Amino acid sequence: MIELTGFDKRFNPGSVNEVHALRGLDLSVAEGEFVTIIGTNGSGKSTLLNAVAGEFAPDLGRVSIAGRDVTQAQEHQRADLVARVFQNPFLGTVPGMSIAENLHLASLRGRPLRPRLGLDRARRQEFRARVQSLEMGLEDRLDNAIGSLSGGQRQALTLLMAVMNTPRVLLLDEHTAALDPKSAAQVLKLTSQFVAERGLTTLMVTHSMRQALELGNRTIMMHQGRVIEDIDQARKRRLTVEDLLDRFAELRRAEQLTDDLLEELRRAYV
Amino acid sequence: MELWVGAVVLGLLYALMTTGVYLTYRVYNFADITVDGSFTAGGAAAAALIVAGCHPALALLAALAVGAASGAATALIHTRFKINGLLSGILVMTGLYSVNLHLMGRSNIPLLQHPTLFSALDALNPGLPGAVWTALALGLALAVFWLLMAAFLKTDLGLAMRATGENPRMASANGRNVNWLIILGLALANGLVGVSGGLVAQYQGFADVTMGVGTIVVGLASVIIGESALRARSLTVQVLSVVLGSVIFRLMIALALYLGLNPIDLKLLTAVFVLLTLVLSQRMGKGRAGLPGLTRLLRPAWAWGLAAAILAGLGWWAAQPPGPQSGGQAASPVRPLIGVVQFTDNGVLDLTRQGLVQELRKLGHVDGQTCRLDLENAHGDQATLNLILDKFLKDGADLVVTISTPATQAGLKKITDRPLVFATVANPFLIQAGTSETEHRPNVTGTYGWAPMDQTLALVRRILPGPLKIGAIWDPSQANAEFNVANLRQAMAGQGDLSFHGATVAGTGEVQQATQSLLNQGVDVLVLPPDNIIYSAFDAVVSVARAGNRPVVVSDVELLSHGALAVLGYDYTSSGEQAARLVDRILRGENPRDIPFERYSRLSVGLNTKVAADLKLTLPPEVLAQATVLHPPTETAARTRPAPSPPPATAPAPAKRRLAVFLFADTPIILDALRGVQEELEQSGALRELGLEVSVRSAQGEMSLGQAIAQDLVRQRFDYIVSLSTIALQLAARFNHDIPQVFGAVTDPYLTGVAKSPDEHQPNITGVATFQPVEAVLRTAREIFPQAKRIGLAWNPGELSSEACTKKARELAPRYGFSLVEANVTSPAEVLEGVRGLLAKDIDLFFTSGDSTMLSAFDSVAKLLHQARVPYLSNSCTDVARGAFLAVGPDYYNVGRRTGALAIRLMRGESPQAVPIVDYVPETLFVNRDLAAEYKVSLPPAVVKRAANLGGGQ
Repeated sequence: MIELTGFDKRFNPGSVNEVHALRGLDLSVAEGEFVTIIGTNGSGKSTLLNAVAGEFAPDLGRVSIAGRDVTQAQEHQRADLVARVFQNPFLGTVPGMSIAENLHLASLRGRPLRPRLGLDRARRQEFRARVQSLEMGLEDRLDNAIGSLSGGQRQALTLLMAVMNTPRVLLLDEHTAALDPKSAAQVLKLTSQFVAERGLTTLMVTHSMRQALELGNRTIMMHQGRVIEDIDQARKRRLTVEDLLDRFAELRRAEQLTDDLLEELRRAYV
Repeated sequence: MELWVGAVVLGLLYALMTTGVYLTYRVYNFADITVDGSFTAGGAAAAALIVAGCHPALALLAALAVGAASGAATALIHTRFKINGLLSGILVMTGLYSVNLHLMGRSNIPLLQHPTLFSALDALNPGLPGAVWTALALGLALAVFWLLMAAFLKTDLGLAMRATGENPRMASANGRNVNWLIILGLALANGLVGVSGGLVAQYQGFADVTMGVGTIVVGLASVIIGESALRARSLTVQVLSVVLGSVIFRLMIALALYLGLNPIDLKLLTAVFVLLTLVLSQRMGKGRAGLPGLTRLLRPAWAWGLAAAILAGLGWWAAQPPGPQSGGQAASPVRPLIGVVQFTDNGVLDLTRQGLVQELRKLGHVDGQTCRLDLENAHGDQATLNLILDKFLKDGADLVVTISTPATQAGLKKITDRPLVFATVANPFLIQAGTSETEHRPNVTGTYGWAPMDQTLALVRRILPGPLKIGAIWDPSQANAEFNVANLRQAMAGQGDLSFHGATVAGTGEVQQATQSLLNQGVDVLVLPPDNIIYSAFDAVVSVARAGNRPVVVSDVELLSHGALAVLGYDYTSSGEQAARLVDRILRGENPRDIPFERYSRLSVGLNTKVAADLKLTLPPEVLAQATVLHPPTETAARTRPAPSPPPATAPAPAKRRLAVFLFADTPIILDALRGVQEELEQSGALRELGLEVSVRSAQGEMSLGQAIAQDLVRQRFDYIVSLSTIALQLAARFNHDIPQVFGAVTDPYLTGVAKSPDEHQPNITGVATFQPVEAVLRTAREIFPQAKRIGLAWNPGELSSEACTKKARELAPRYGFSLVEANVTSPAEVLEGVRGLLAKDIDLFFTSGDSTMLSAFDSVAKLLHQARVPYLSNSCTDVARGAFLAVGPDYYNVGRRTGALAIRLMRGESPQAVPIVDYVPETLFVNRDLAAEYKVSLPPAVVKRAANLGGGQ
């Protein structure tokens, strides 16, 4: 479903701020796979998601999604294939527009724009049913501005909007990290539910080792712009948090990880 | 009533602009300053098209397109090159200034004589007061617009636009092309602004290149005021609030005027009012935050109601009679109210107003006793000008006096049912106050005059003899400045030892640099025609000029003490005094229809002896004797008083006779003729013998200027007029019914209606007729090409002179053994086809005689004929250098000499009626020897001998 071949990207090339964010990365994700991504800060996890979303084109290498070469396609040009939820719950919705209007905008993803009043009664009925499935009591507030909702509610709606047109690929970038524990659990539950119901091909960046192991059927570990560990479903089932930490220690011995990084991983994931 | 309704109308007209600003500022979160330019662009496009005969509704569509293009340009610069939005807007706004000048072709287009949407609307008026009807109709249109706009923002496209403004990342992640949506949104917003500009231009009756200045501020203020009045989440109400905000803003300004506040304070008041609405609405929002549904719904209505109550209360208070003592005076039955408005604060306009008020008092019209004077000043703001005029109408002014051109232009539009007297207007004909001094709008009269640049130049030449490089600086966006400079150049035309060096500025900030650039070009003297911008930065000019030891000569006496060497200009106090006398005549019962426009009569000539000493210049005694003001004042202080009118300056020596040479355009042919006239006058000794003073005036190819000049020649009572070119003859003949006039460089005077035959002509006009020498071409062609049989002739039947030539050719061709093959062309696009058709008919020679349609495609025709090796014959000698084979044309230098000789006959006492029109065609023959060689044609020695030029070359 997703094929990245030799994907290489430098930001601010030639300046002191040059960052070699992705270094000839190869990644192949099959249809229906739910991949969790872990790694240190600056290892390129979010950059990988942005690369799939189309925020930038690679310096070298190719990307294809669902068999379509999208290497040079801009974000809006591949939005019919890809949907995403950002870490920041305020990024996924338009605060000044109502819940219904936001949902309607999401339902137009991948369709041409027309100057017609598309948000009709039938549409609103449909949105009402969908919002009801979130079990947050938002179905009676369809005309309220989204800006008046809590971060958890907004993130749940963003998730709903992302899966509304059943995208071929769903990108989740630490989408629960900014939420309180209760909301985070709720959004996580919805995530599992939506992905399972629709069999969505999903990439999810997480900083929680437990989430990484419990969710999905494949885990990859990134470091310095490369995939350094790829754990399939069979191995994943047997894997424990300790195993992962041992794996980090191994990497250190192979001098792929410094002590500082190891310490950072320990703090982040345990 | 008119004041308030007028303000509502203005508010509704500007509401479209405000909606545009709402779109960019609120929906797109984009501080788009393009509107200052796109507003003008809309007005410019609409006005230019209406003048060109386009339907006003269609013109409005063009305004939409031009505005949208401007907005799209800003958005493209912003999205494509990632340039900050504010900066992109500034770039486009700056560029639009030039574009707008190009669109209009000048800085101001009057629309008074043209149909507009508002004149169409007036025609549908069922009998309501005009302003009320306009407000109603506009209100209805705006209501429809409001609903459409609100609905649009709720469509799929509208939703995507709003998302793009609030959260572009989300829009992009949801598959929306953000850049495209920004372009679309800014185009829509500025399209609305453009329509608003187009409507305002049609409403106020003219478009001006400065009409958009400050639009963005008004737009933002209106948006904020509207939002505070109706604090609503609902989009529909938000859009309504924007429309209302625009109306409230105009009502506020009307209120300020109503209360008699100084318009200087208007801008400050606007700021305070906006601040107050913001703060008050915040307070109210906080106080009621906890209240339940119903009150929350009511809140906007509360705020709005309060604002309306305050406005109404202030209005009521202001409507009360001004004071207790007015009761006693109300007893005097008729105290006419005279509204006086000047456009801006500047010395000239202030002097005019002072002269007006003083003279009115002398004539017995004393403010507060025998009349009421309402003196207002718009401080340079066009919208304020309209509101002041509305106020005069509301107060029931019996007569309105407008000082300055912009004030008069606005007045002509608004004041139609009562007398209007204007003062200090350079050229009332340009703004369509009338077509001549006596034929003018029935309710309008006034005093006018443009700076006498010819006399200024004469003064300069008396002080600084010898060849001169003359420098001038002006701001081309000011119509009157352009006009004055054109007059200066005209006055210089024909004086070979003068050269003109110009520098233009766009604002006072560039004046110093412009002055320096002229000094670097080595100018000997700066002659500055009246220009508000230059005069207000005069100190900058003087400081540079003084450092370079160059004298400065201007037209405003006020500037003498600022360091001008010499000043020659009208005494604007006298303009006000003359206007006061016109006001007096109207108040005494005369109908303005019967009062001709008056030109100011009194000149001031000022000299600065200190500057002269600094520059080591000696002022000739006769120049000193002419001065009415000396600076610094000397013992001979008797002279510092204004000269009694009529002044000796306009007729310096009674013995001298004055001849005006009037040209329509500075084309090579006309300049040849002019040279002929001048040399004939010089060499015949007439110049000295008759004590003749010659002024050359050129209309620079512009019809309205030509009319003005022709009228001016008559008004100045020149003793003789020589007109060169057909149009100059027509223009002069229209106004000149008694001054002896001689024309030259005219193909067929009988077509102009001036004459029926050489002996039957308008009694004061005679001259020289110069037909194209068609026969000479045929004769010479027969000599060179003894075998040739068929001559092809292509011509446009729509051209009078072409028809005359063709008739002649038809008559004469058989006499020289040719048969004529004709082709008609009606447009430049048909020319080549026509010539190909002739070539297909086996023509041996090709001939066209001064047909301008044919000439428009000269090069292509010449090329085609060259390929077919068919010689090209013509009546214009310059064609030979461009590839014609043979040309026999009139020698216009000799035509000029003949014209001059005719003029001298009149000066020596012959009556023009008794002098028949002379048919005179001095032939010059040009042959292209290169082509002759190429075509292997041997030129007969007789022809070579006759030829004035054997040029060649392609």
